[in-house]
Amino acid sequence: MVRTRKPALYGIIPALLLTGVLLAMTACGQEPTTSTTAAGGEIQKGGTLVYQIGNPSFIEPTQAFESEGIEIVQAVFDSLVQFDYLTNELAPDVAASWEANEDASVWTFHLSGESTFHNGRKVTAADFKYAWERICDPVNKSNISYHLSAVKGFDEMGEGAATELSGVKAIDDETLEVTLSYGYGDFEYVVGHPCLCPIPKEEVEKDAAAFALKPIGNGPFMVSEPWAASRYVRVVKYPDYKGTQPNIDGVEFKIFEDVETAYLGFQAGSIDSTQIPPGNVNAAKTAYGVSPDGYTSNPGAQVQLGPELAIYYMLLNNEAEPFDDPDVRRAVSLAINRQAICDIVHEGVRKPADSFIPPGVAGYVPEAWAYSKYDVEAAKEHLAKAGYPDGAGFPIIKLSFNSGPGHEDIMTLVQADLKAIGVTAEFDVSDAPTYWDKVQNGNYQIGRSGWGADYPIIDSFVYSNLASTSADNFANYNNPALDEVITAARQIKATDERIKKYEEAVAMAGEDCPVVPITFYAHSRVGSARLHDFVHGGLGMSDFVSCWLEGAAAQ
Amino acid sequence: MLAYIARRVVQMIPVFIGITVILFLIRSPAIVPGDPVRMIVGERAISQALYDQVVKENALDKPLYYQYGRYLTRLVQGDLGDSYQLKRPVTHILFEKLPNTLKLALVALLIETVIGLAAGILSAVKKYSFWDMLVTLSTAILVSVPVFWLGMGLQVLFGVKFKQWGLPYLPVYDMTSRDFSTVVHFIMPGFTLASASMAYAARITRSQLLEVMGQDYMRTAAAKGLSRRDVIWKHGMKNAMIPVVTFLGMDLGAMVGGTILTEMVFNWPGVGLEIYNAIQLRDWPIVTGGVIVIVFMVMIINLIVDISYAFLDPRIRYTKAVK
Amino acid sequence: MAEAPEQIPGERSARGAGTDSSMGRPPLSIAESVGKGRTLRGDAWRRLRKNRLAVAGLVWVAIMVLLAVSADLWVPRYLGDPVDIDTTQAASQSLQPPSWDHLLGTDRMSRDIASRIIYGARASLLVGAVAVGIMLVIGLVMGAVAAYYGGIWDSIIMRAADIFLAFPYVLFAIVLVGVMGGGSPTNVFLAIGLLGWPGIARIFRGSVLAVRENEYVDAARAMGASTPRILFRHIMPNAIAPLVVYATMSIGVAILAEAALSFLGMGVQPPAPSWGGMLSEARGYLFTAPWLMVYPGIGILTTVLAFVLLGDGLRDALDVRKKE
Repeated sequence: MVRTRKPALYGIIPALLLTGVLLAMTACGQEPTTSTTAAGGEIQKGGTLVYQIGNPSFIEPTQAFESEGIEIVQAVFDSLVQFDYLTNELAPDVAASWEANEDASVWTFHLSGESTFHNGRKVTAADFKYAWERICDPVNKSNISYHLSAVKGFDEMGEGAATELSGVKAIDDETLEVTLSYGYGDFEYVVGHPCLCPIPKEEVEKDAAAFALKPIGNGPFMVSEPWAASRYVRVVKYPDYKGTQPNIDGVEFKIFEDVETAYLGFQAGSIDSTQIPPGNVNAAKTAYGVSPDGYTSNPGAQVQLGPELAIYYMLLNNEAEPFDDPDVRRAVSLAINRQAICDIVHEGVRKPADSFIPPGVAGYVPEAWAYSKYDVEAAKEHLAKAGYPDGAGFPIIKLSFNSGPGHEDIMTLVQADLKAIGVTAEFDVSDAPTYWDKVQNGNYQIGRSGWGADYPIIDSFVYSNLASTSADNFANYNNPALDEVITAARQIKATDERIKKYEEAVAMAGEDCPVVPITFYAHSRVGSARLHDFVHGGLGMSDFVSCWLEGAAAQ
Repeated sequence: MLAYIARRVVQMIPVFIGITVILFLIRSPAIVPGDPVRMIVGERAISQALYDQVVKENALDKPLYYQYGRYLTRLVQGDLGDSYQLKRPVTHILFEKLPNTLKLALVALLIETVIGLAAGILSAVKKYSFWDMLVTLSTAILVSVPVFWLGMGLQVLFGVKFKQWGLPYLPVYDMTSRDFSTVVHFIMPGFTLASASMAYAARITRSQLLEVMGQDYMRTAAAKGLSRRDVIWKHGMKNAMIPVVTFLGMDLGAMVGGTILTEMVFNWPGVGLEIYNAIQLRDWPIVTGGVIVIVFMVMIINLIVDISYAFLDPRIRYTKAVK
Repeated sequence: MAEAPEQIPGERSARGAGTDSSMGRPPLSIAESVGKGRTLRGDAWRRLRKNRLAVAGLVWVAIMVLLAVSADLWVPRYLGDPVDIDTTQAASQSLQPPSWDHLLGTDRMSRDIASRIIYGARASLLVGAVAVGIMLVIGLVMGAVAAYYGGIWDSIIMRAADIFLAFPYVLFAIVLVGVMGGGSPTNVFLAIGLLGWPGIARIFRGSVLAVRENEYVDAARAMGASTPRILFRHIMPNAIAPLVVYATMSIGVAILAEAALSFLGMGVQPPAPSWGGMLSEARGYLFTAPWLMVYPGIGILTTVLAFVLLGDGLRDALDVRKKE
């Protein structure tokens, strides 16, 4: 159980990357006398942090598939391993250690034996097996079973042919052995997903409906009262937690249908951490000060604009004319003024994408995709090469996307950019389910998508979106040579070597330009003036353990 | 009286059945594009066996009339099906939200009554004065203003600007907090929801009062030396109020049905907001179930108002009976 | 529910209220006031002109129509294109406050707001006109069939009208468009039109019933006039006054409904401008760029208000409500 948030560590790791302000901040954790904050830097205990979330569909790990639900799961449950909020590095959690066989197809996790559920019972390896099988059981119709698709027996269970995951074995209370269908060197990262945590079977069997509203986990916080639909989820710290105890007493996850309303509440002083609605970032920067690392909010440096491990991109239907021609795809990619999109739509928060892999993911190479830049002349050349000089004879294209304020604005700019190279594009807007239906059936020409990492690994981007065998390859890109490289990369156990191989795959795909990277995501959040050392990381998770609230105990 | 009530209830039945037919049809694959099985199970890949099971469970292989019969039977038993997205019974989800919608509607009714009546009386008593003109114009504006725009404007002005200026301000955000039910939280959403209604209430009050004031017995009362104030309050109001009160009763139904935009703007956790979100997710059981619950509430409220009105005014019963 | 009075969609009925309690009685036929020497139309026009609010409404509607119709001739050249963007310039022109270059400022995408509001008027008025047109066509046919053939047809159609009136208007419009798929103007026209027909049908049915038994209709029939001819030559003129009032009011209601749908992202398809859509964009800029929110709202308010005032004025001028 190492929920590592020791300030001393932070002095070393980010020092090379970040400004001295961070060093000053970390120092203030150790030396209460020197401080960047007005009220002195000594950590104060107590208080309830009020945290804005969207309306979750689920807050139990078996079903939670959107970030709002996963953030709650993250606070209430602990998985086998965890990622550092700032560096995304892998660290032990419920598992103290683990190892894999030669081709990374059999993994053995050794539990520390310290973790207990909020009902007091010790967490065992069988609890993981139960939780994972619950996710894969077709009766539960979980949207997140794909996390476990590498595990042996996954398909059989999904089809209803088996009632258990044959690849998952609880050898004894503290040993979990997982056999995969293929070598997968990144599996140690996969099990760090918050929703792959253990679940206490007895509580679910007692009352599954109650568990869904008030999950009983093994994390630093426990749900204190059943989820009040559309209103809030409240958690308080779990007194018997063996890892690092939180400084605050609890978190109120306050549910807001829209960020605008939440931001009004923040301005009125009743919310400690919220997203900033589009259009307010610049004003917020002036009013609340910018966090130097983009992740940590401290008084006076409250606006968090750090990059996230996610990419916004456009789908081109590689199977159908005219986008089956790589030159047409290159032309589209070169025609798009990504900087304008970042400046206008994202107020400069997001950055133009120069590769399909976002920075922060190990294996990101700057400018890895040569066509992912703005060059109208080059775009016209490629279009001419494809047989459409100045767009002559190019069919009118449908620009499909799901309705939503951000998408509309981006597509408006894309439409204008395409017009500049002689390509006429018409909007085809639909609600999200209809849109995704079209995309999955290949019934589109240009679409949009966003991809965020579930775990900080390059495979999450490369395999899912670019391999011909992936169900998420909506661009219908099919490159057998690339498939081979990806398969080879997945089986490499040594991390560095594996990443090298993936880099090769990314470069190969970049030449073909199967999709058009647009922007790298960044969050835009703000913390309150009483909130200290509050980290919202690149994986979109907030750290409620190491933060503290100034003056909260007095209330 | 009982016969009248029975007749009114019987009249409701075909309307209610017609509503269920429409709502059943708009969620059926005949109208809604897409594979119904896909909508139920979501995006993940499923085996043919599971697919067939879902088809069977939902009677999707049966003809439309059979499906409707099944739907109606369950509806009568209080079963609106399970939400596609949340995988819970729709009735549970809706009944969590319904009290919030009803509370909001009741507060709006109160605001409507107070402001609408006051404005109506003012403009009737001071007929053709500046105040009368002001009320006339304000009522026209109130029925023309988009509620979502009004809601946004109120939030900015009374929620944020007033606070910045150091004036007493209203909470605009705290609908989700523990003290959800405090009165101040209801003021702006209640006013927004009541905006158009209070205009109608004012207009009806005005016209009723003017009509009553033109009656002979009012002139008689004045001739007997009663002060103008007494004439209006003692004689005028009593007679003018019956239609106004009836209107207000009916309007509660309209208000329950009209909360969706107000709930949107104020992030109010009611049935309307739930329906709107469900539309975005194409979660048809919640959408149609929500509409049915609201329509049913509206019909019940109207029935109660009708019956109590008939109770107060026997002529209604007889007219209907003759017809 | 059986005998609700004529009701503007979305508007609350004053059921049971004394002066309005027509309760199934047909609205007063204008026929009674004909034959006083002066023409009905002239009379009405004189009365309308005296009503200052109604005249203001009429003038405002005329201005809006003129702006919307003539937009293509001058707006893109003098104010800027409502849709097209130069992405290399857009960032620097984004969210400009009102100035001489941009009278009402620019939006986030650097487009001129005045230009978008004028084109938005076009969308609103078009929806109002087309939706009310659909409403009229369905309503007139239904009302005529119900009144003329009576019996079972009458019962079916009037029950159907009850069913449609039982749905809360805005809620059902949103659900209907949601089901049919937002973003298509046809669906918005259809939804608003479909929900409005019962009112028209009831008015027209009432008028037909009131006039049908008159001697001149019998005479016309005896002379061999066809049913449609009787309807249009003899009955229509008598039904026209309440219909005009109702339709005028309905345009306002339709514009409001369209604004709500566009605000919810289900109405006019972007990037085409619409007032509701502009308000939806403005939500994020309530503090930093309030002009985004102000002008489209004023556009909706004034235009709907104009139709309401005009409708009120017409009602008085055409003497649709009886004055006892």
